[in-house]
Amino acid sequence: MATQRVLPQSKETLLQNYNKRLKDDIKSILDNFTEIIKTAKVREETQVSRPTQAEQDHYEMHVRAANIVRAGESLMKLVSDLKQFLILNDFPSVNDAISLQNQQLRSLQDECDKKLTSLRDEIAIDLYELEEEYYSSSYSLWDNSDVPLCEAYRRPDSWMSPDSSCSSPSEDREDTDGPLAPETNPQHHLNGHSTTTTEKP
Amino acid sequence: MATLHHEGRLRALEEVEKEIAMILQCAGNIVLELSKDKHNASLLDRQLLQFQSSVNRVESELSAQIRYLTQVATGQPHEGSTYSARKDCQMALNRAEYAKVKLGELGRTCEVMLEQQQS
Repeated sequence: MATQRVLPQSKETLLQNYNKRLKDDIKSILDNFTEIIKTAKVREETQVSRPTQAEQDHYEMHVRAANIVRAGESLMKLVSDLKQFLILNDFPSVNDAISLQNQQLRSLQDECDKKLTSLRDEIAIDLYELEEEYYSSSYSLWDNSDVPLCEAYRRPDSWMSPDSSCSSPSEDREDTDGPLAPETNPQHHLNGHSTTTTEKP
Repeated sequence: MATLHHEGRLRALEEVEKEIAMILQCAGNIVLELSKDKHNASLLDRQLLQFQSSVNRVESELSAQIRYLTQVATGQPHEGSTYSARKDCQMALNRAEYAKVKLGELGRTCEVMLEQQQS
């Protein structure tokens, strides 16, 4: 609790310091500039000789000009400190910047996932047609225990039964691949859908 | 909206820096003009007005910024982060890149098979 009390006071002190620096620097610029203008006025000769007075005025102007430049640099440093303080402590702006960034990142992620999902759907449709074509052709090598994707879409419960087989394509296959079907090794299937009876749930 | 204000505040501070440079430049031009034998009164007036307006603008703008910070500043560090959203987005981009690689491999496989068939 004591530590928490110290921090706000340091922030208050810091901001009061910023105010003081601002007032002092502005005052320094104005005062020194005013004095330079006053010194530039040509005066009548006084007790001090003209060269001596000129030398004194020259030195004074030099010092006051240096003071103006120093005050200007101090103001620049103050602006830099204020920028840093603003970035670190302006919580409303930081919160909004974070939420905006999160929103942009999430929309990018959603767009990416949406495109991937549509790509998946398109590829699934093409794969369905390709499998249908493949398993109805004479080149397919499958056994009765395996169900191609096209048939799996028609009969969702075919995954549960190890003895299930395609209904309509099976009639065509029996004409062409009947003697070959029982001798098929499931691992030779190209589409990767091959499973053994032990692997099915 | 506040993000625009945040950027606006930082841009205002950058403008203040330019105004401070303008203050010094005007002061130098006035002293330079006074050092000549014949002074250009209109130039002196313009430079003086510019000098005064720049000084007033710098003072008012910096005072406003300090007043705003007095109202807004707390003693605590900010603990917000965009890490989780950034990580999720990075994973989504990795998924897309992986899909692209796999589709590229599939495409190359199909091309090889077609070339074999043609030969």
